[in-house]
Amino acid sequence: MEKDKNVLEIPYGTRDFLPSEAASKRAIETKLAELFAEWGYDEVVTPTIEYLDNLTLGSSRNTEPHLFKLFDKDNRTLALRHEMTTPIARLVSSRLQDYPLPMKLSYISSVFRYEQTQTGRQCEFHQAGVELMGSTSAFADAEIIALAIQGLLRAGLNDFQICLGQVEFISGIMEQYQLAPDVKVELKQAMEQRDLVALGNRVDALKLPETAKQVLKKLPLLNGGEEMVKGAYDLALNEQSRRALDNLCEIYRLLKAYGVEKYVRFDLGIIRDFSYYTGMVFEAYTPGLGFPLCGGGRYDHLLADFGSACPATGFASGIERILLALERQELAKPSRARDVYLAYAAGKESAAIAQAETLRHSGKTVELSLSPQTKADAEAAQQAKGYAELVYLA
Amino acid sequence: MQSNNMDYLTIALPKGKLFGLSADLLAKIGYTAEGLSDKSRKLIIINEEKKIKFIVSKTADVPTYVEYGAADIGVIGKDVLLESGKDVYELLDLGFGRCHLMMAVPKNEKRAKLTDYNHTRVATKFPHIAEKFFNHHGMQMEYIKLNGSIELGPIVGLSESIVDIVETGTTLKENDLEEIVSIQDATARLIANRVSFKMKFDRINTMVSDLRKILESEAAK
Repeated sequence: MEKDKNVLEIPYGTRDFLPSEAASKRAIETKLAELFAEWGYDEVVTPTIEYLDNLTLGSSRNTEPHLFKLFDKDNRTLALRHEMTTPIARLVSSRLQDYPLPMKLSYISSVFRYEQTQTGRQCEFHQAGVELMGSTSAFADAEIIALAIQGLLRAGLNDFQICLGQVEFISGIMEQYQLAPDVKVELKQAMEQRDLVALGNRVDALKLPETAKQVLKKLPLLNGGEEMVKGAYDLALNEQSRRALDNLCEIYRLLKAYGVEKYVRFDLGIIRDFSYYTGMVFEAYTPGLGFPLCGGGRYDHLLADFGSACPATGFASGIERILLALERQELAKPSRARDVYLAYAAGKESAAIAQAETLRHSGKTVELSLSPQTKADAEAAQQAKGYAELVYLA
Repeated sequence: MQSNNMDYLTIALPKGKLFGLSADLLAKIGYTAEGLSDKSRKLIIINEEKKIKFIVSKTADVPTYVEYGAADIGVIGKDVLLESGKDVYELLDLGFGRCHLMMAVPKNEKRAKLTDYNHTRVATKFPHIAEKFFNHHGMQMEYIKLNGSIELGPIVGLSESIVDIVETGTTLKENDLEEIVSIQDATARLIANRVSFKMKFDRINTMVSDLRKILESEAAK
């Protein structure tokens, strides 16, 4: 191959996976696909492009500016999918209505978001995840969290932490102080922006008893183990927030049955989009990566936006982020071994092809030379390409 | 360098006027290290006993170190933080480094209303904040990004106005500029990486409440 100094550019926020990187990515995806199948989740594939309206339908979230948009020949606006939950919700409510519930679906896909690129996230990135539709039970939520944990373990990570929260807890607390709708929006916005200073200032300006103010300011700091949740019952003065805590306790009880509770910590201030999630929410973190590895939660209203109400819960993991975490924690496995380089003298083509087939059947990776070589050339090629063994047919 | 060692807490401090105030405040709760100075040639200063690492960086880079998790915690002015648009936890208003962002114009060329400046040129170090502010008022401006001596803009005819931070207003007066609208008040903030805040929650939370106590007792004086 000739060396070309003039490397052609690729669009902002995209990347090439060179052979060893592609091998690591494929290895993770294969492990996750196997795991999802073992748990009874069927893979689905949806189009990379959808109608813009379908992706933004019912979402008060500010997703539209982050979508890659284009026009079809009838000038309808199309967009590249920015996540997989919405396309799957569309699929389930329009094409799989007769499918028996609960429905368990999985995907491994590229998604696209126009945003400033950051570690482990380009504009095009890859997600592996599952959606469980048709159940409101804590059992379903626990299964989703346990599966997310198993996925990280299967991928080879062992040092990570799941933070588990419940959006209804925060909503319930705000309800019990009878905050005006616009105040609720402001406080939730401050929390979503992780701006505890703005939250504090806004709360201080409210006409509320001092104890209520303290509780509201403390919401993002409710992080801890089971005792923290028990303590939080003292703050929960209405049915809504108490039910949220009951729900978390029930999920935690089931996670113990799965034997994964050591990875889980409660975080009642966990902040994921309030307009979208309706129940438990979680994120996974690992040391050395400043961004979550995966996240998910319950979203019971999304399918109704597509015309068939159905409760749902799920998660997505970022493949690039898992790869990055493995690399940083020096857990990355060397890519698949190169076993045999098979070379041959002139006139031995047929024998070489037959030999290569035999070796491949026995499970070895074999590169067959494309032309006859001398033994010395074959040895040099074996070294250069990094094959463990040379088979030479003289 | 990644702060992936869970034992250490890495703190990014900005060089310049916030450095001394931040270092003094942190020292009051025991967060300090020998040789911690923004004049030091060493960029990382470690307190092995207390498991603290300090990174001393250029002001505008603090939010970046924290967003990427290279530092768990940082101290930064709200003005720089807003301009950076980084996704970090804003934990505490430290109260010092008080200033405000405002728009100023040459005294003798004042126009009647803010919107009279629509479609004019504005020189600023904070183009993102300025753009958000003017968009909010339905105005479109031409933003000229400068890195220092913003006041020079109108004087040399580069722009009709400036958007900049002001502490006392002396520089404005000396250059015959007058503030016409205030955009944002700013003080120093304690910020945290979103993952560090979760993974090192107990330690960071203790640090925040210790700092809060100090700030409250100082405010009471």
